[in-house]
Amino acid sequence: MTDLNSRLLAAHVADDKAALVSLYRQAAAAANDQNAAGFYLTHAYVFALELDHPDAPALRAELIAQGRETVL
Amino acid sequence: MNMTLTDLTKVRRHIEQANGLPNAHYTDPAVFAEERQAILFNNWSGLATASDVPEIGDAVPLTFLGMPLLIVRDKAGQVRVFQNTCRHRGMILVDAPRKIDGVIRCPYHSWCYSTDGRLVSTPHVGGPGQNTHNGIDRALLGLIEIRSHVWMDVIWINISGTALPFEQANADLLARWTEFDKPLYHGGADSRFQLSVNCNWKLAVENYCESYHLPWVHPGLNSYSRLEDHYHIESTGKYSGQGTLVYRQLTNEDGATFPDFDGISDKWDTAAEYVTAYPNVLLGVHRDHTFAIILVPEGPEKTTENVHLYYAHPATDPDLRARNTDQWKLVFEEDIFVVEGMQRGRHGVQFDGGRFSPAMDGPTHMFHDWVASQLEAARNAP
Repeated sequence: MTDLNSRLLAAHVADDKAALVSLYRQAAAAANDQNAAGFYLTHAYVFALELDHPDAPALRAELIAQGRETVL
Repeated sequence: MNMTLTDLTKVRRHIEQANGLPNAHYTDPAVFAEERQAILFNNWSGLATASDVPEIGDAVPLTFLGMPLLIVRDKAGQVRVFQNTCRHRGMILVDAPRKIDGVIRCPYHSWCYSTDGRLVSTPHVGGPGQNTHNGIDRALLGLIEIRSHVWMDVIWINISGTALPFEQANADLLARWTEFDKPLYHGGADSRFQLSVNCNWKLAVENYCESYHLPWVHPGLNSYSRLEDHYHIESTGKYSGQGTLVYRQLTNEDGATFPDFDGISDKWDTAAEYVTAYPNVLLGVHRDHTFAIILVPEGPEKTTENVHLYYAHPATDPDLRARNTDQWKLVFEEDIFVVEGMQRGRHGVQFDGGRFSPAMDGPTHMFHDWVASQLEAARNAP
């Protein structure tokens, strides 16, 4: 997680949103509890949304499935 | 509003007895604020051009009379104008022109809006990882959209939302220039320029409306376009300006000209018209090009003039375009000492608004009368 944290910080500094989508998704997968996972997944989704990233619909669907988001 | 900052009764007289607007309408911040609402917010004001956002996702923030606005070309290609303010904590959403790939994300707490203004994401609004909350109804929290309309490539906005629909409010002018209601192609970077003038925005309108000054201020223009070749254009309460009967096309050394607008009638072979669409857009039409000057009031005594030139076809000769831009820039720059001089003159405390030539100043008086009518309507509003 330390390495992932460093890469996340670097992606923020570089404003590399595509990397942020990927890294926050990885952070969600690696999280130990549901709330932390939801937090990271939300970040992945927001940056995907901003970027018009092809994964945005799937991320939203995942958040909806977890009761964290609503249908558009 | 129930306040009377100035006496407008003399302005509303017939032109032969009328005085112009009192000095305060050019110098007083309180009157500027009154006119901001009564004249510019309550009517259809020019803001920018659709050519400023040529592609889907283009977003341009700007400030109009102190109000932060955001022009966006949405995913469907429609030009929209929003208040550039997040519905959450009032943060400015976009602070520099850029392309919106997906959504407009507030840089503060990342509330996200679609390019058509819908609030689509509210991250962590219900707590960490919980992106909804019963108290936050997204359907009610989209971006505040400002009523807008595109005509002659100009984005017109009615901030109050109370004006008649644009096509109704400007029906006479649309009908007058129906022959120009076709695609206008912005000449591009060489066909736009900006002038910053130290005067109240109304003085630019007043000068533009009349041909009386042409032989004195624009002797070059007048060498072929004499005073008697001009006519007044007057539509009470809507627009005014002047026309010429001796327009000559610009040519280069080879005799080349710009192509005409398709299907234009013979009248326009030698005619051209210059009209102020009240309150703040100066328009000009010719057989082969049009222009729009959007006056942006920056304060009681400062105005930015954004000038745009348009052609009948998307590909025109760059050299000829540059010449046309230079020609018009020279004309408009020749007017600067006049409008700035009139501004300085309005600090003469005994100036009474001046008088009008009943023969020559009709279009200018018509504008004064309209401004006064709008202020009276606002002052008399319940």
